[in-house]
Amino acid sequence: MANKSFLVAQREYLENVRTKTFWLGILAFPIILILSLGAGFVLAKLKEVKTYAVLDLTEQKIGEQIERAARTPDTPGMMKLLRGSGLPQKLQEIRDRYRDAIEPGVDGKEPEVPDEMRRELQRVMLEIPASDFAAITEKATETQKSDKFELLTLDELGIAGIPSEEQRKKLREMVESKRLFAYFELAGDPIQSLSDFRYLSNNVTDSGLRDMYDRAATRIVQKLRIGKAGIDPTIARSLQETVRFREQKLGEDGKAEDVKTGDKANKYAPMGFVYLLWIAVFTAAQMLLTNTVEEKSNRIIEVLLSSVSPLELMAGKVWGIAATGLTLVLSWVLCALIGVWVAPKLMPGFDLPLMDVIGDPLYLASFVGYFLAGYLLYAAFLVAIGSVTNSLKEAQNLLQPVFIVLIIPLVSMMFIVEEPNGTVAKILSYIPLFTPFTMMNRAGGPPELYEYVITSVLLLVSVWFAFRAAGKVFRIGVLMTGNPPRLKEILGWLREK
Amino acid sequence: MNYALRLHEVTKRFGSFTAVDRLSLDIPRGCIYGLLGQNGAGKTTTIRMVMSIFHPDSGTIEVLGKPDASMVKDKLGYLPEEKGLYKKMRTAEIVAYFGKLKGMDTSTANLKARELLTTYGLGDWLDKKCEAMSKGMGQKVQLLGTLIHDPELVILDEPFSGLDPVNRDVMRDTILRMKREGRTVIFSTHVMEQAEQLCDSVMMIHKSKLQFAGALGQIKQGRDFGIVLDYDGDGSVLKSVPNATRVNDSGKQAEIFLQSGADPQQTLRWLVDRVTIRRFEYRAPTLHEIFVRTVEDANARLAAAPVAQGAS
Repeated sequence: MANKSFLVAQREYLENVRTKTFWLGILAFPIILILSLGAGFVLAKLKEVKTYAVLDLTEQKIGEQIERAARTPDTPGMMKLLRGSGLPQKLQEIRDRYRDAIEPGVDGKEPEVPDEMRRELQRVMLEIPASDFAAITEKATETQKSDKFELLTLDELGIAGIPSEEQRKKLREMVESKRLFAYFELAGDPIQSLSDFRYLSNNVTDSGLRDMYDRAATRIVQKLRIGKAGIDPTIARSLQETVRFREQKLGEDGKAEDVKTGDKANKYAPMGFVYLLWIAVFTAAQMLLTNTVEEKSNRIIEVLLSSVSPLELMAGKVWGIAATGLTLVLSWVLCALIGVWVAPKLMPGFDLPLMDVIGDPLYLASFVGYFLAGYLLYAAFLVAIGSVTNSLKEAQNLLQPVFIVLIIPLVSMMFIVEEPNGTVAKILSYIPLFTPFTMMNRAGGPPELYEYVITSVLLLVSVWFAFRAAGKVFRIGVLMTGNPPRLKEILGWLREK
Repeated sequence: MNYALRLHEVTKRFGSFTAVDRLSLDIPRGCIYGLLGQNGAGKTTTIRMVMSIFHPDSGTIEVLGKPDASMVKDKLGYLPEEKGLYKKMRTAEIVAYFGKLKGMDTSTANLKARELLTTYGLGDWLDKKCEAMSKGMGQKVQLLGTLIHDPELVILDEPFSGLDPVNRDVMRDTILRMKREGRTVIFSTHVMEQAEQLCDSVMMIHKSKLQFAGALGQIKQGRDFGIVLDYDGDGSVLKSVPNATRVNDSGKQAEIFLQSGADPQQTLRWLVDRVTIRRFEYRAPTLHEIFVRTVEDANARLAAAPVAQGAS
């Protein structure tokens, strides 16, 4: 008898897996991921270069210094630069001294860089001869803001050597005529007052250029003022130091240890998996519904029922689609493994710190296990819904509550990652409909062993009950034609023995 | 074990509606048996109960000597009225699939499926998808799916509906061949000519109740003979045939029933003067006539005693 369920499952599986659309669907996910990464890369390259000019009327003539400071890479840029080769002696020294601090952070996040090092770098950068400077920064600033803006000197604009009133007028005209994106006017004595620093542009929404100059000018003016006040540079530095807490966590042995980048990867990696899990459960359950409705609407169900019992048919369908879903999930896992392995070779500098997470067999196994349990639970609902409806349109109406329930794991995803052992996370873990998603989500916590045990037992018991109920509905519903039954009728079926 | 199918006092209700009312039937093995009745009379419900898709509310069903069809599922073949196939499956695959569901092993089923399809003229379609086929071909494929496992008892629900004349003949030949092979074929239809040509025995169900059942000859026995007339000319004169009780005029052919004692020779004489006669036959009534009369009589009875139905 179980043999017949196997035949149904086998057919169901082959029908889905054999289609091109199935494999396209499987591949679509990684392909879209790669494309979106690539597109971002290309877009950043393609972005048009905006030109600007600087009218420097300050007494100290600090315009050039500011421009140079603005061109100094920001911290991530510097880190990238330091990881490269062919650096001037001075930068190499800094790198060797702070080697530990320049490891890449999670998801391109800024690494924990000591302020001291930051300042030292900035100072050294400003001292490098102009000819070398451009060559060095070019590497570091490839994808940064600064190369999206290009400075045109007054010479290049053909307005050097004329009275400043004239220059100002011409510059305004150029902004007006879009020859220039913006121009800066620096005037007066910045040591005394900054009220004559102006930025003029027709585009007020793109503040990238202004922000860049704000930061650069601040540094230069601070330096000027410190020098003017005759403050000892060491004192000045200590005054300017920003506070940064050292991030620590309690290790297994109860001692405090520094948070490493891998820990953070563990924290965020689950989100990716929860999302994949969600898509997989959703896709597979949806597939089951579609197939059930199709069999009903093209009446093939009657032939099947003359050969197999309704419960055999239901079991066959559910397992057939489960196998389909597993194929989907395992293909993705395989894609991920290949991706993690291949990507760094294709694109140097593209390294995902997810490697150790994806490579964790226990985590991957739990991913597959939770997929199966989660799918089965939702499958019970969808196969029952499919059995009582005659068309996908009818099914959609009944599906709405299921969709609303399914949205909760998505909405709570970020929240749970931030607080993997918080009250909300714990409560959601014990609701079987959310257990697979929430427990995957909390992996960074991680939850206690007893939580895994209790939630898994609850989940499996719910699956069992859900299928008993689904079986009763399916048995009767699958031969019904006409309007779908009301909820009251369905409850009546459930009470039948 | 002489009977392929025995129903005893079988009743099936859907809510307050009684679909089949205390139906008893004995269908011997090796015969072709027709289930007659109007749409909604209860034929399909009866068939579904026999196939153990539905379970009767009361009464017993004995299929191939077993008290429950699910015990002999693999020996039954069933072609439902509403025919459907998996669109994405290949022709040979789907036929083999139905065979495997009936307990055939994979290689035998695959081989038999291709063989059958080729025999039935679908050799070019073995590896084509079902969605590409015409309706008639699809029905053929489904019929083969019903027969691939050489069932002892085959139940066909409206097998002729939607078939063109060529495929009708194919269906008819298939039914006759199965009978020759000693299988029992039960089919439902509302085309009386088909039942008359093919069936050894028939039953008729009307408004959930059995009206008559038995061998064709037996059913016709004792009923009024009628004149079957093939003619050319103005058919409106047929309405005034002397001593006629009923006239079924189809334009080129008519069936005329006379009062008891009336002489068909006189009627012939009367007709010769009025229309061109190509055939004149005096014989037992057609199944069609019996069917129509049964429906009329039953409706008249129900109209006269509406309470009786409510009590059943």
